[in-house]
Amino acid sequence: MFDFKPIRKKSPWILHYNAGSCNGCDIEILACLSPKYDIERFGVINTGNPKQSDVFLVTGPVTFRSRERLIELYTQMPEPKVVMAVGSCTCTGGVFRDMYNVEDGLDRYIPVDVYVPGCASSPELIIDGLVKALEILESKTKEIEKPFKLFRNETNKDGVVNRRNSALKVGEEIDDEEN
Amino acid sequence: MIEIILIALAPIIGGLIYGLERVVRARMQNRKGPPILQPFYDMLKLIDKQAFIVNPYHSILGIMHFVTLWVVVAFVILGQNLLYVVFLHLLSALFLIIAGFSVKSIYSHIGANRELQAMIAYEPILIMTAVGFYMINGSFDISIIRESSPLLLSLPLVFLAFLMIIPIKLKKSPFDATEAHQEIVGGVEIEYSGIFFEFLYMSKWLEYVFIYLLLILFAGNSQILGAVLSVGVFLLVNLVDNSTARIKMKHLIKIVLGIGLTLSMINLIGLSYV
Repeated sequence: MFDFKPIRKKSPWILHYNAGSCNGCDIEILACLSPKYDIERFGVINTGNPKQSDVFLVTGPVTFRSRERLIELYTQMPEPKVVMAVGSCTCTGGVFRDMYNVEDGLDRYIPVDVYVPGCASSPELIIDGLVKALEILESKTKEIEKPFKLFRNETNKDGVVNRRNSALKVGEEIDDEEN
Repeated sequence: MIEIILIALAPIIGGLIYGLERVVRARMQNRKGPPILQPFYDMLKLIDKQAFIVNPYHSILGIMHFVTLWVVVAFVILGQNLLYVVFLHLLSALFLIIAGFSVKSIYSHIGANRELQAMIAYEPILIMTAVGFYMINGSFDISIIRESSPLLLSLPLVFLAFLMIIPIKLKKSPFDATEAHQEIVGGVEIEYSGIFFEFLYMSKWLEYVFIYLLLILFAGNSQILGAVLSVGVFLLVNLVDNSTARIKMKHLIKIVLGIGLTLSMINLIGLSYV
């Protein structure tokens, strides 16, 4: 059987999601794609479509409103995939840590493979992180990794699936009476 | 024998054209660009990815789009009837449109709608081109068209109209509203993943082979003119792609039908009086 694993790191297609970022890290990611840094030379395409991507780039401290979309996008990405947390906010919550509307970093919700610190993280650092992420991608299996906080069942009202509040807040317990 | 080898290698040739195009486009933007074999790396990676099936018909129609397009390319290489080739190509586009409407995604619906509108724009010009070839040679057979003297001299306006539909078929600016990667995230291809997306990705390569094979028909029996035409149009299309912005679907139809169809009609009417 032909071994596809070495091919994986030659064509990483990225999906970029802004989970409440200030746009600083987003601009740096776009700078990576621009002529000066040009990560297309590694085969990177910014697809914008979760079903066709391999690398999930997340910026921002994961606000309360963005967490459901975050998990939705994460579960829509086919295996094998890697997750990169870009920026200080995404790694730990940064200056927004312990605020009422912020969930303190990406790793409370989905398994993170590479942390790229910096406020905003520089394009060189993002490229370093991407190269590291590709090494991890090569060793990944096709087993499905589950996000941590998608515990609540979907509510089904009049035949329409409602995914609002499907992700729990940090520290929140499942209410058995509700399900 | 050489035809059969060419037909078997058609997707690979298309992949090489696509890889070369990505390099050329990168150099035009002062970038280094991906390696020339990048489309094949993408293809091998997509085989290995997990595939989501939204519904079975959606996936099967994607594969049928690829197979029909390959048959179209095979007919062009074998020198079959040009009118038949044009309508079979229409069928392959229809499979993709039905696939786009078979899922619930709104982006997929918009993409399929735009694909239909684009078809309204480019299909008359393809037929006009075939009619133009018929008026000169008295036959729709591609093998006969290939043996005639260069057709570019008697069909200059039809050639201009044909140039206008190349960006629509190859999903290039300014006529790439059907795909519109930043707005509707690829249109009909949004719900495809893994190995099923690969068929769509490879049918994009076959589209390149199809368009450039039709382009070479304008050169008739002159191989030098054919080579000059394909290289020149390849560079021109990429230059236009890099230097223009995307236009709306409404304007696309207006421009292509208004200018392209009028130009080819003038040419054909003039031809009938000569």
